[in-house]
Amino acid sequence: MARLLEHQGKALFKQKGIPIPEGRLVGSVAEARTVADELGFPVAIKAQVLSGRRGKAGGILFADDEDSLLKGIKELLGKEIQGSAVDRLLVEEKEEVQREWYMAVTADPSTRQPVGIFSSRGGVDIEQTAESEPASIVTAPIDISEGLHHYDAMDLLRQVGDLDSRQMLVLANVFTRLYQVYREYDCKLAEINPLALVEQGAIALDARVDIDDDAASRQTTLDIDFAEEAGDRAATLLEIAAATIDEHDHRGTVHFVQTDLDASYARGSGMVPVGLDAIGAGTGLTIMDELVPLGYYPINFCDTSGNPVGSKFYRITKVILAQPQIEGYLFVSCVSSQQLDNAARGVIKAFKELYPGTAGQPNIPCIVLFRGGWDDVAVDLFREHGISEGRWIKVLGRDTMERELAEIFDSLYRDWKRETGGL
Amino acid sequence: MEVLEFEIRSGGTIRIDLEKCETCETKACVKHCNTQGMGQILELKDGVPALKYTPEEVKRGACTEDLGCELECELRGNHAIVITLPLPELDEYLRDLSEKPTYLRGQ
Repeated sequence: MARLLEHQGKALFKQKGIPIPEGRLVGSVAEARTVADELGFPVAIKAQVLSGRRGKAGGILFADDEDSLLKGIKELLGKEIQGSAVDRLLVEEKEEVQREWYMAVTADPSTRQPVGIFSSRGGVDIEQTAESEPASIVTAPIDISEGLHHYDAMDLLRQVGDLDSRQMLVLANVFTRLYQVYREYDCKLAEINPLALVEQGAIALDARVDIDDDAASRQTTLDIDFAEEAGDRAATLLEIAAATIDEHDHRGTVHFVQTDLDASYARGSGMVPVGLDAIGAGTGLTIMDELVPLGYYPINFCDTSGNPVGSKFYRITKVILAQPQIEGYLFVSCVSSQQLDNAARGVIKAFKELYPGTAGQPNIPCIVLFRGGWDDVAVDLFREHGISEGRWIKVLGRDTMERELAEIFDSLYRDWKRETGGL
Repeated sequence: MEVLEFEIRSGGTIRIDLEKCETCETKACVKHCNTQGMGQILELKDGVPALKYTPEEVKRGACTEDLGCELECELRGNHAIVITLPLPELDEYLRDLSEKPTYLRGQ
């Protein structure tokens, strides 16, 4: 999923005729001064980061005059919000809000069609509203072959109960345009929260637009450079590095995401951070289920599937081992139809390059497990290259189950810690 | 023609030092490429490895990048092959890293 920043989403809204506040993107105090001259006061200053809880994290400020504007700009620029550095701010006119609503079009996996969602409680997380006031949320499926007509939107809004006819007309107009954004830009989610009632009508005060990553290649106007799922934050440089592995080569895929950026969750929970590469996402989850009770937490998730070429395994192994916090590494295949000797060669080449002093034998506890096509060849390759003889690596074959693997890793880690004291 | 160098699909190069190949007794790279490798792009020509296909065809994906030629050459040949697989964003990440990765510690 490629999530757009607020200003990018609002640009799409504007293009489709959804009213947005007048605003400018700034990256310095000088630029902010110029914008203030154009817009006047009061203004909102909004950090352009992907975090969904930006407001609660102090990423949105208001300014009534130039002094408070400059103070706000200085406070926000360079600030870190949930792991994302703020280097751009959206300065826009502050609206006199009479009422706030929630409006969205998203994909409903259960019905495999888009769904329109509206709530009379805007400005708060829709998940929170669903818990506290579920009756305030109304939804309607959208027939993708028909689209969302004005009368469909009116039907949906009629369920809300406390909208007057003028408001319904205005909101239905916004709804049909939001659906146009959703369809034209291959969205998974097009959301306005809050959608504000102001004197002139309705206006989108925020924008969340998530593009389906499978469609990112045809959305050439959106300047999407990273389409992997990174959650409520911008992609890290390591994730971007991993994403480039598939960029020019579609022979197999590599999906990598850092689940615990600085290993603070792992360490804070009393667990040992480890790196993980799984062939098969399900295998990745299963091995996590076995590792966590023993006190080991994979700080990345990685799935290398679709029979990737050996060079992809080489590159992703280097990416995983580049995480400085890890005190162990696991490569685990499911019972795979992939050609595992190719995987083995990729890992071996990476190990030999990263551990030249020991001819590829690692200095942290490592487990590699091959189960499936050419697994015997893969195991042999590690032996032939002398890596299996390493003190801190175990190369396992098809008879090993996930729990056994986790226990072997646990034993290896304890020995390593006892004998070396760790790193 | 002391060096055979060609580009591969994922971005990178394979460089074969043919002078070393002249004295190689096994030609393990060619054997691997034609027996275990899926691409089968190498052949022996005048006693040294050569491409069966044009460099353009190889770059388009004829080479399946199993890395076997390099590793077999290390094991059974004359250490004549170097496969370079750049990942510039990883280099950039490592440059900015304040804490060393574990593989750089204690070696």
